[in-house]
Amino acid sequence: MPRGFFWLLVALLVAPLHALAGGYADELIERARHLRLAERAEWRKLVHYVPDLVSPGVHSQIDSPAFFNATLGKQDPRAELEATLRSFFAPPAAEDDHPQCRFAARRAWLDVELQFDQRRLPRRECRRYREWRAAIDASQLTLVFASAYVSNPGSMYGHTLLRVDAAAQDERTRLLAYAISFAADTDETNGFAYALKGVFGGYRGVLSMLPYYLKVREYSDLEHRDLWEYELDLNAAELERVLAHAWELLPVYFDYFFFDENCAYHLLGLLQVARPELELTAQFPLWALPVDSVRALTGQAGLVRKIVYRPSRSTIMAERLARMRPSERRMARDLALGALPPADPVLRALPAERAAAVVEAAYDYHNRHALLVARSEIDAPSQAPRVPPGPRPDEGHRTSRVALGGGQRDRAAFVELGLRPTYHDLLDDDTGYVGGAQVEFFHLRARAYEGRDARIESLIPFAVSSLLPRGDFFQPRSWRVAAGWERRFTKSGAEPLAAGAEGGIGGAWSVAGGLLAYASLEAAVRVHSAFEHGYTAGGGARLGMVVDAARSWRIHVYAQQIGSVLGERTDPGAMVMEQRLTLARDAALRLDLRSERQAGQSFNAAGLFVQLYF
Amino acid sequence: MKKLARIATAAVLLLPAAALAQVNNVGSCGWGSKVFDGQSGVVPQSLAGITNGIFFNQTFGVSFGTSGCTQDGTVRSTWKTSMFIDGNKERLARDMSVGGGETLDALAHLLGVEAADQAAFNRATRDNMQRIFPSGSAATEDILAILRNVLNADAQLARYSAAL
Repeated sequence: MPRGFFWLLVALLVAPLHALAGGYADELIERARHLRLAERAEWRKLVHYVPDLVSPGVHSQIDSPAFFNATLGKQDPRAELEATLRSFFAPPAAEDDHPQCRFAARRAWLDVELQFDQRRLPRRECRRYREWRAAIDASQLTLVFASAYVSNPGSMYGHTLLRVDAAAQDERTRLLAYAISFAADTDETNGFAYALKGVFGGYRGVLSMLPYYLKVREYSDLEHRDLWEYELDLNAAELERVLAHAWELLPVYFDYFFFDENCAYHLLGLLQVARPELELTAQFPLWALPVDSVRALTGQAGLVRKIVYRPSRSTIMAERLARMRPSERRMARDLALGALPPADPVLRALPAERAAAVVEAAYDYHNRHALLVARSEIDAPSQAPRVPPGPRPDEGHRTSRVALGGGQRDRAAFVELGLRPTYHDLLDDDTGYVGGAQVEFFHLRARAYEGRDARIESLIPFAVSSLLPRGDFFQPRSWRVAAGWERRFTKSGAEPLAAGAEGGIGGAWSVAGGLLAYASLEAAVRVHSAFEHGYTAGGGARLGMVVDAARSWRIHVYAQQIGSVLGERTDPGAMVMEQRLTLARDAALRLDLRSERQAGQSFNAAGLFVQLYF
Repeated sequence: MKKLARIATAAVLLLPAAALAQVNNVGSCGWGSKVFDGQSGVVPQSLAGITNGIFFNQTFGVSFGTSGCTQDGTVRSTWKTSMFIDGNKERLARDMSVGGGETLDALAHLLGVEAADQAAFNRATRDNMQRIFPSGSAATEDILAILRNVLNADAQLARYSAAL
């Protein structure tokens, strides 16, 4: 066939088709308007529209221009829907990047609503999408919660990811699944710089897909974080919607905010496209902490089918040690540190299973290859214990707290209101939380003394601490840092709201019966014009202990003395006893007793508060 | 050029282990070991710079599009086993030394080992653990090659060596 003739034929065929297409696109748009599709929940969720803060309009939380077909698509749901419909008629030249393929979930939904005529709107092949979908081979979705890791500011709240379980896998081979998670697109390895930039939206958030085994290694082996796997009960059509939408989100980005528009929030945004009536992100105007996002799922009747606990390597190791005799523990430590050769006759004289347990614990403590070689020569099955799961993260108290109470300081009675947006302190019930870790942000306390106006007692934007016992195997440092404004006496007699920062570093030891004693070196600086020279700074020490007197009753006692070395000599000292009594999951009583001395002023205070978590 | 590409593809498909050693592709997509450099047990508190919520694009490549051994975030089937071994050496050596475990189960699954042969697979890898992992830093291509020899030498397991 002569080439010229061929092109003529193509032109003859294409020209009327194109004219027809224009007509059919208009027709579809007309029907979409009639059905008000742009106002539907499905469309809102697919393009991630949320109401504007001040004006009455909406905007999409996705920030890449490529996610929108209309110029004003980020603000205009209807324009975006109509431009999307038109884009589906684009010529098939670039098959893989065709809008029908890039917007797989939008296409599927619009097709259901508008019943596309295959002859007038040909369906594109979308080879790449089909290959991706086949490679994942998804049969179910599982939300995975990684518990908090307080040593890294980017992980203090825990983390969530979505595991895509393949049809060919079972519980034994889940490591081979893929994990989808939202994360900041960065190579920043400094946790503090990351957290700071994250707070102010300095990163692009992206969706990433990684083999689950890499995430398990990261969390379980490196960061000592237990995983909780929440298997979701979605039908085939719902699963398909989520995956098609994940495909749409893979190439786009959103501006990353640590607190609200964070990973957990966006993961819910992806999941809620499963069902038209499923609203998961709407519950989070301000925060979407990972554990709250888990609760958003467990709170939906029938959405979570099964929950699997995956203890971290250090949790398993702690369980191993708890089951060993003191002599075996010593042997394991010496083996790990190389002080005892694997061929030692005492070790070899143990029954095979005990020897195996010792060598395995030693290896978990210190990954020395020689220990694996030694273990492979002992004929015994794996001695890894089954760790009974404790309370789940979604069973813990809620993450915001309000406190209302009153008390007396010397002869002045007061009422006090406290608000702590997030999330857990040393006194709070540890059920579902990582014990010994405190993470508090923007804790505000306001107090009114009898016959006086209410005033701010303290505003602490940041208070984080870690209090973990040292033992034969683990020797973690305990530390705390806090910064904010607090009432402090000065020599002038005033009690201004002084800006300040304090920190401590030390160690904690498990004494007996669940009693944890700690000692730390402390430093503090406070700034206010009411101080001589405008500030006071000093160093000192603190001794304290934490004990659970009963399951719901915790007592924290400490004595602290700081010697001022710069600025005003305030030499603050305090003896404090704090107690918490859990009343219900989201309610507690708190009794604080303190005797303090600041800038020569001594006072005693007592306060009783009801704390409600919400 | 096209022909060359086709031959290369065929070589990779037919002889993954050998091809691995030759073109050293494990190195170019061996993010597993890179990610966990410096890790040695529960002891070290300073970790390899892995942070939750941070996605290291240098390490894994972009999630969308083609890079190294992945396509739009999924691992290409020819690389699945070698990438799994590359990212799980320490866990595999540990599982082999005790004669079983989740990571070894997953490897068996990748090789198509049937349930009836799992015990034999666990035993064979345990008996040969010191050969497969002569040190804590064995190269992925060597692990693949020796594992293949170990399976070949076992009448019950020889048929699975082709998957390596």
